Amino acid sequence: MSAQTIDPYAAVAEPSPRRFLHALNPLAKVAGVAPAMVVLIFVRDLATPAAFLLLSLILIVVGARLTARSAALLFLALPVGMVAIALGFSLWVDPALVAHTPVVARIGDWTLFQGALAIGAATALRLGSIIALALIGGLTTTGPDLVRASVQQLRVPYRIGYTALAAFRFVPRFGHELSVIRAAHRVRGHHGGSGPFARMARGWGYIVPLLAGAIRHAERVALAMDSRAFGAHASRTERHLVPFRLRDAVFIGCCLAASAAILVIFFPWQLP
Amino acid sequence: MRSSAPLLSVRDLSVTHADAAHPSPADVSFDIHPGEVVLLLGPSGSGKSTLTLALNGLIPHAVPATMSGVVVAGGLDTADTPTASLSTRVAMVFQDPDAQIVTGTGYDEVAFGPENLLLPLDEVHRRTEDALRRVCLWERRDENPDRLSGGGRQRLAIACALAMGSPLIVLDEPTANLDPQGIDDVYAALTDVIAAGDRAILLVEHNLDAAMGFVTRTIVLDARGRVAFDGPADEIIRSHADELVAMGVWLPAATLAALRMRDAGAQFAELPLTPAQLAAALASERPDSASPTPTGRLQDPGTDAGPTPMDRPDIRASTLQTARPTGAAPTPIIRARGLTVRRHRTEILHGLDLDIAPGTLTAIVGANGAGKTTLLQALAGVVPPPRRQVSVDGMDPGSASPGELASRIGFVFQNPEHQFIAHTVFDELAHGLRLRRTSDAEVTARVDAMLERFGLEAKAHVHPFLLSGGEKRRLSVGTALITRPRVLALDEPTFGQDRARASELLALLHDLRDEGTTILIVTHDLALVAAHASHTVILADGRVHAAGRTADLFRDERPFVDAGLRLPALQRVLAAAGQALA
Repeated sequence: MSAQTIDPYAAVAEPSPRRFLHALNPLAKVAGVAPAMVVLIFVRDLATPAAFLLLSLILIVVGARLTARSAALLFLALPVGMVAIALGFSLWVDPALVAHTPVVARIGDWTLFQGALAIGAATALRLGSIIALALIGGLTTTGPDLVRASVQQLRVPYRIGYTALAAFRFVPRFGHELSVIRAAHRVRGHHGGSGPFARMARGWGYIVPLLAGAIRHAERVALAMDSRAFGAHASRTERHLVPFRLRDAVFIGCCLAASAAILVIFFPWQLP
Repeated sequence: MRSSAPLLSVRDLSVTHADAAHPSPADVSFDIHPGEVVLLLGPSGSGKSTLTLALNGLIPHAVPATMSGVVVAGGLDTADTPTASLSTRVAMVFQDPDAQIVTGTGYDEVAFGPENLLLPLDEVHRRTEDALRRVCLWERRDENPDRLSGGGRQRLAIACALAMGSPLIVLDEPTANLDPQGIDDVYAALTDVIAAGDRAILLVEHNLDAAMGFVTRTIVLDARGRVAFDGPADEIIRSHADELVAMGVWLPAATLAALRMRDAGAQFAELPLTPAQLAAALASERPDSASPTPTGRLQDPGTDAGPTPMDRPDIRASTLQTARPTGAAPTPIIRARGLTVRRHRTEILHGLDLDIAPGTLTAIVGANGAGKTTLLQALAGVVPPPRRQVSVDGMDPGSASPGELASRIGFVFQNPEHQFIAHTVFDELAHGLRLRRTSDAEVTARVDAMLERFGLEAKAHVHPFLLSGGEKRRLSVGTALITRPRVLALDEPTFGQDRARASELLALLHDLRDEGTTILIVTHDLALVAAHASHTVILADGRVHAAGRTADLFRDERPFVDAGLRLPALQRVLAAAGQALA
């Protein structure tokens, strides 16, 4: 359990007037971008996802306090991933579909058509824009706040919400346990060859000890929570209110309006 | 008797677990009044932990078990009050600090209980601050509990129990998962809580040395789960020490040491219960006694509690750590030269030199981060060391195949479940042999012999995960030994285990050593090292700080202190009294 594991509870940043995203209700950030994310799954052009991508990046840079880690995620990992997907998909596209488009490159009797590149780029842009939209909320919301907002505004039963939150604590523990199990199996000579199937077989071998440990741990956590009056009343004292204010409604409205405007301008519904 | 109503009243309580034949505890009755600090003692299997679960209604509400009799906590009958409501009458602290933490900061964690109780905000803040201050964690309230030490997390759990506002706190083995520093931490916090006098405490514990200072009363369960003794702790332990030892009850280390000295001829006017009392007794005895207090036998009955083996009839008291003939130093079976191990680009072991003589039981000790486990894993090839730096029984673990490794050195992980890879106990044992293409007839013969040796004959076709805790531990040792390696390495084999299981394992290790196996263990339990290891290696910052015979090393506290370790209180006292320690 190194210090490098992501702490799902850590406060993201102190809200300041300029970094307005942090001060918004987590649900507003979800509701504002969710329609656009759904629509983006179905568009096929380049301009629409590019516009959403650009807009979300601007929104994050303006409205969120960026750490070195999140900046690297946005401006290094995201673009590199998109380029990789774009290239990968353009190799994967059936050449017959795009044979009528101009040729970009030719190696031996293999030809890369411009249409293939376009499809790859569109796919990458689509995925990239969906991720960027999700990051608007993702980079500016803590897990506990999302749970609190769900309990306070969506009336999700707190027993479910806070149990889910407690389960976050399991993740680094299981990561550590898995690495120990792997070392244990390796030293006992449980190699079973290389290749994907042997790897999968080995993976099954890790699951039983991992699950056995997980179930025991979960039972203990449940007993400890029961002993501390979890579930005593229909609701619990909330020290942190996550209010839904006018600015949240305004944010949702703006997001929806911007999404609609982009969709109207680029009107991506005709097939390429 | 007292006029106040009892905080807790238990009448004829019997609990039978879903998979048990007999109830334990059985027909237990007692009351706990305000201000009492009760120590619950009993041999392994007497139902101490089960009893604690019945006190706040987890039995029968959350744990599958049949319960008869009545438990009334703060006027509420636990049979028809949910645990959540009982939590204001009885608060719990469990053994594993990690399994009690559910939120992301110390403050949230302590506030979790009062929030569940739907208390007004001001009251939540007041209780949280008060509880955190009492365990000295107020300054660290905004940190993730993961960043606290084990002792710190257990102190946090105590704060959480305090914040529930219940007049009675039940602690079930609160220090079993902690290193010596953590144990001290927790007891410092607990002593403060008790000094305030506003909470009654029921404590299940086997680290009795620190507890004896503040315990006012003890209840002892016998092996069948019935109340054997109930009364003032010092009186009961002093007047029934031999009976308690015979029952398999763990006594304070100072008392056990005194019992052994008494057997060797020393006289004690009053049996000491704490290291300080033992020191006083030794000091007062010294001037007038012509012959010095016998030494040398302190370590001898290396197993559990005292001179008689009592946990299980098939475990014999281990042999004396008598000085073996010390002629010319034998050729070391393990040799490391300039061993340098890096992990994630950090150098953990810095050019370490180490020789381990065959036939020894060597303990590797050191503060957290000193590189104990890294060293053991490198020697055993679990994480292959750089080539030509280590030699184990003529083999280089840096380049050996798993098969070669297994035939030279067996490795036992801290949690036996981690290393099980087959679906039956038989296959588990056979795995190491089949890997070396041993003939089927020989596999069967050797596995059957191993099953018999470890008392697992009846379990040959059971899945390893369905064994009991002690059986799993024995199986894990068996799998490491099946290929007949001359070296056995164990990583923290007694961590988080109860005493009975730990002493069962230690007896086994002594037997193996008598047969000629060289044993290497990593542990933080210095009391265990003092009692069982023939040699000790103290690591500090990735280097060997001191190494030698345990008996010689433990005469002086300095090498331990310099390496960031603390000798157990008993050993400190004995050192101060000029006693040979081992």
